Order: sequence, then structure tokens, then C-alpha cells
Amino acid sequence: MRLLPKSLTGRLLVTAGVAIIVALLFAALAIGHVLERFVMHGLDERLDAQIAVVARSVKPDGAVEPALATDLPPFDQPGSGWAWEVIGPGRTLRSGSLGPAALPLPPHWDQLPPWDRPSHHHRPWDDPARPRPLDGTDGSGRPIHYRILRLATAAGPFLVVAAGPRSIVERPLRAAMAPLLASLVLLGSFLTLALIFQLRFSLRPLNRLTRLLAQVREGQSRHIDVDEPTELLPLVEELNALIGANEQALARARGHVANLAHGLKTPLATLRLDLDSPEIDPAGRLGEQVAHMERQIRHHLGRARAAEPGGATDAIVELRPCVIDLTHAMARIHADRRIAARIDIAPAIAVRCDPQDLDELLGNLLDNAWQWARATVRVTARESERQIEIAIADDGPGMSEQDVDAATFKARRIDEREGRHGFGLSISRELIELHGGSLDLGRSDLGGLDVRLHLPRGRRSL
Amino acid sequence: MRVLLVEDDAALADAIARALRAESFAVDIADNGEDGGHLGETEAYDVAVLDLGLPRRDGLSVLAQWRAVGRGLPVLILTARDAWSDKVQGFKAGADDYLVKPFRVEELVMRLRALVRRAAGHAASIIQCGPISFEAQTGQFQIDGLPLKLTAFEWRVLSCLMLRKEAVVERLDLLERVYEGDADVDSNSLEVIIGRLRRKIGANHIETVRGLGYRLTAAAA
Repeated sequence: MRLLPKSLTGRLLVTAGVAIIVALLFAALAIGHVLERFVMHGLDERLDAQIAVVARSVKPDGAVEPALATDLPPFDQPGSGWAWEVIGPGRTLRSGSLGPAALPLPPHWDQLPPWDRPSHHHRPWDDPARPRPLDGTDGSGRPIHYRILRLATAAGPFLVVAAGPRSIVERPLRAAMAPLLASLVLLGSFLTLALIFQLRFSLRPLNRLTRLLAQVREGQSRHIDVDEPTELLPLVEELNALIGANEQALARARGHVANLAHGLKTPLATLRLDLDSPEIDPAGRLGEQVAHMERQIRHHLGRARAAEPGGATDAIVELRPCVIDLTHAMARIHADRRIAARIDIAPAIAVRCDPQDLDELLGNLLDNAWQWARATVRVTARESERQIEIAIADDGPGMSEQDVDAATFKARRIDEREGRHGFGLSISRELIELHGGSLDLGRSDLGGLDVRLHLPRGRRSL
Repeated sequence: MRVLLVEDDAALADAIARALRAESFAVDIADNGEDGGHLGETEAYDVAVLDLGLPRRDGLSVLAQWRAVGRGLPVLILTARDAWSDKVQGFKAGADDYLVKPFRVEELVMRLRALVRRAAGHAASIIQCGPISFEAQTGQFQIDGLPLKLTAFEWRVLSCLMLRKEAVVERLDLLERVYEGDADVDSNSLEVIIGRLRRKIGANHIETVRGLGYRLTAAAA
């Protein structure tokens, strides 16, 4: 069984709670003991005073003078519980309160209790100045406190015993304990409240840290920005270092994949040029294999390049410059087609996406549009609460319902058959969906294909 | 048509050069960015094929340097980097076309011809000069609708004159675009080629402009 709960709050509550209870119990016991000692001291003094008076009646030679043993009040009052007795060899003196009856004494009263043997004690048993204490009950069960003084005489040892009711001590003690315990309970509850408040207050930075870390994971921020409390700063530094190391490792891994793919492309290009001569590859079978390798490389490179959604590389990208750069590229690549680009995008519109992914997904779709358009490609963007809708329309032949279905549900199969064109569409769809967007195909009012994509809106105030 | 090919992979450069020469291009090869940049700045080329990942000097900076010093020759970037971001960067640096490795050599040839044609100011792919027509996409010449058989040197001279038809092409300019950088140029050989061309297309279509050069003209003078 676990002794400590799993939560930090629980642990602190349990340990601090136990500490508070132990401290309060100790305080109660210590204060009670001090109080008891204090009132007991008063009782001892009264008994010792009577003993001192009575002791005067015992002479060093063993003779007893009863006249000297006077009763100090209330030792003279019968039934008061106050009494004394001198027990010597052959002679016994008693207080007036006792009358003829002997002072009731607890059994083994004349022996030292085991914890008070001289060997345990620096004080010798027969110190004449100090009576020793003893507690017991009288005949009616009333608790009685005794003091016993041993006097050595020539005739033998005399014992002087004085007794007083313990109730005289316990009554004020009880009266003092009630408010004492009440105030200790009050102190305890105050400490508990303070503890809970302290836990709430001092553990709050941990909750904040969790929130900030979640924001990093969701891509809303790139690192944790915390400057207090100082105890958390080393942890925050480590976390930031870890985030940075992750980012670098990811970039390195991407770089390796890209280098591998690019490294393979040049020899593949050479291979393809060599295979173009009919005597090496008459049936075109080797060329087909090379083409297959190329497709694989392009596919996996595209996937490796795709940034994680909400990853550290996500940024707020202004859409208009991105589209304009890409349309300039299209105008060069498809220079002979002389397609007019109509761009209607407000300068303020921005999307949240990895900039390279955005280039890639828009590039593929625009390339597609340029390939199929007769004269015009139109790019428009609209802003809604959470998303940006980008529409790429062309005036080409468009796609039949069947083709749209095929492109939607069997994007991969279309790649294989149509090569680059379909491939671009499916890569774009993958990238868009990776970034939490969607892609729809339809017929544009220009007559051709209308590609409508939704991407998360980028907000400046993050 | 003379091509500057800047490519550090020797096997690929050889294969491309072989394919281009088979299509009658004159090809100079540079295997690093520094040499390629220097050649592009100092020699006359109709078009350049530029790899991006080059030793000594990156392809993009070579291109940017050419544009900075006012070299307007059409440049096709030939690279393994197929991301649209890379293409955008290439075009921003001043590229005219972009081809991703691996590629079909037919596509490279077609794109190079189109680049040269557009750089000469011809929007349409067929250029006509009197009875002579030049299909710039395929590189085929026809005279009166019949195919014209030409050697590589004849093709280079005629395509150069054709692209600048009705204008005087300087003799030195013509020489530069016909011979590869390391070729032994016999000063009389150009006249020999012109002579052979005149026999094939009719002497009156190629005028000799004394002290300047040659002009291809439609007018039967």
C-alpha cells in the first residue's frame, strides 16, 4: 500500500498535516506538563511545610516530642484529605484530621519505584532536605498526593508522610486545559487553512507551465516563456533546450531524407538518359522501373517534407505574397501557355501553416490549374472566423463527376495513372488535411475545375 | 545554339551533353559554380542549364551574379530540389525555367529550345522566313514544306540566323554560338558552312553584310 498519495498536493498535505498534528500534540503535552508541574509545586510546598513542622518533633536521638508537631490548617480538619503521619520504630504520630485511624498508604509505599532507584539517580535516597513524592488513593478511591521524608535517628529511621488531595491540583489544571486545547485546535485549523492556501498559491506556476507546454505542442508558441518562480527556471530552461533539440533533430532528419532523395535523383537522371537509347532498354522495362523509383522518391520526399501539424515550424504566413510568387513561377514554367492570373486576395489575410508546406500545396494546385486552363486562372481568398477559404478556379475542361470522385476517394490510383498531375493533387490534399484543413473539388463559373481549400486562419495576436 | 551546362555530376553532365549534341546543340560544361559563373559572364551562350548544388559556389548565387552584372541569357535550373519553395527561390533569383531531376531529355531539349526562342522575341513556336520555316519546338527546318537535312554546324548557324531573321548577325557572334569553347576554330570554316547552307536553301536568303556579318532574309533579292 502506498503511504504517500501520487499528487504533489496530496503529498504536501499529508506530510505537512502530520507535522502540524504532531507539533500540536507535542505543544499540548508540553504545556500540560508545565502547568501540572506549576500547580503541583504549590501542593508540594504546602505538604513540605507541614513535614518541616512535624520533622522538628523528631530528635536526632530518636525521641519524639508530640507537642512540637502542630497541625497547620487544614491538616487539623478531619475529612479534608489533608493529613500527615510520623512512622518511627515504636512510635506513631498523626495529624488532627486523621483522628485515631492510620493514614491510608498505597502498597509498597516505603519502597522506591523502579524508575527512581539510586542507581538511576544522582539524588541519594536519604537526602534529608528533600521529601520524595508518591501518588496513590485513599480508602474512598480519592487520588491523594504524598510526600515522604526519611529521617535517620539514633533509634532508627523515621518516616514523615504528608498527604493532600490531588483534586486541589487537578481542578485548576482542568480549568486551564479547556481554553488551552481550544486555542490549539484553533491554531491547528488556522495552520491547515494556511497550508491549503499555500499549496494553491505555490503550485499555480506548475499549472501555468503545463498550459504553456501545451501551447508549444499545439504550435501556438515556439518555446516556454516564464521568468518566475526561480525554482522552475532550471526546469523551463531544460524544457526549452529539449524543444530546441527536438526541432533540430526533426530538421536534421528531414534534411537527411531530402539529401538522400536528392542524392538519388542525379544518378537516376543519368540512368534515365542512358536508358533512352533503344539498344540498352528496347522494351522500356528498365525505364519503367526507373520511373517507379522516381515516383517513390517523390512521394516519400513529399511526405517527409510535410511538417507536423501545429509543429514548431508552423508560422503565420501572409497568403498574397505567397500566391504572387507562385504565380510568377507558373508564368515562367508555363510560359508558352500565356495564362492570365487573376488574384483577389486581401493583403491582411494570413494562414497558419508551415511556409514550405503552404508553397507546396498551393504550388501543386496552381500548377494543375495552369496545366489545364485555357486562358485564365483565378485565385481568391475569403476570411471567416477560424478559417481561410482559398478558391483556385480555371477555365479548362474541368473534371467529370467520376473524376472528382476518383480524385477524392482513390487519390493514389489516379497518381499512378496520370503521373505528376494527379500526384500533385493528392500531395496537396495530404498536406492540407495534415494542417487541419480540407479540400473540395467542383466546377467553377469559369467553366473548369474549382478547387476550394480551407486552412486554419493565422492570427497576429497570438 | 550554344548551351552552358553547369553540373558537378560528371556522369550526368556527360549524358546531358551527349543528348544535347545529338540535337545539334553546342555544349560547354563547367563542373563547379566558380567556373560556370565566369563562363556565363564572359562567353556568349544562347541558354544556360544550371544545377543548384554546386561545389565552390551555389547555383543561386551564380545566377544572381549574372543578373546583377546584366547578363540576361535565359537560364534553366536543373536540380533535384523539387519543392515549390525552392522553385520560387530559383525564379526570384532570375531563372527562366526550372526542371527537376530526374527528367526526360526530350523535355529538357524542348524547354531549352523554347527558352532560346522566347529570348529572341518569338512568341509562336513556328518561325517563318520566306520559304523556310523553323519549328522551334522540335528543331526541324522545312523549305517549301519539305524537311531540310542539316549537319549540326549548319543547324547551329541557320537556327541562329533564323531566330534573328532580317537582322544582321555579327560574324564573331555567330562564331561564338556555333563552336564549343574548347573547339579549334578555323576562321574559314564559317564561310564554308554558310556556303553549304546557301546551296541548300538558296543563296539569296543569306546576305553577306561586308565588315559586319550575315543576314537571313525572306526577300529574294
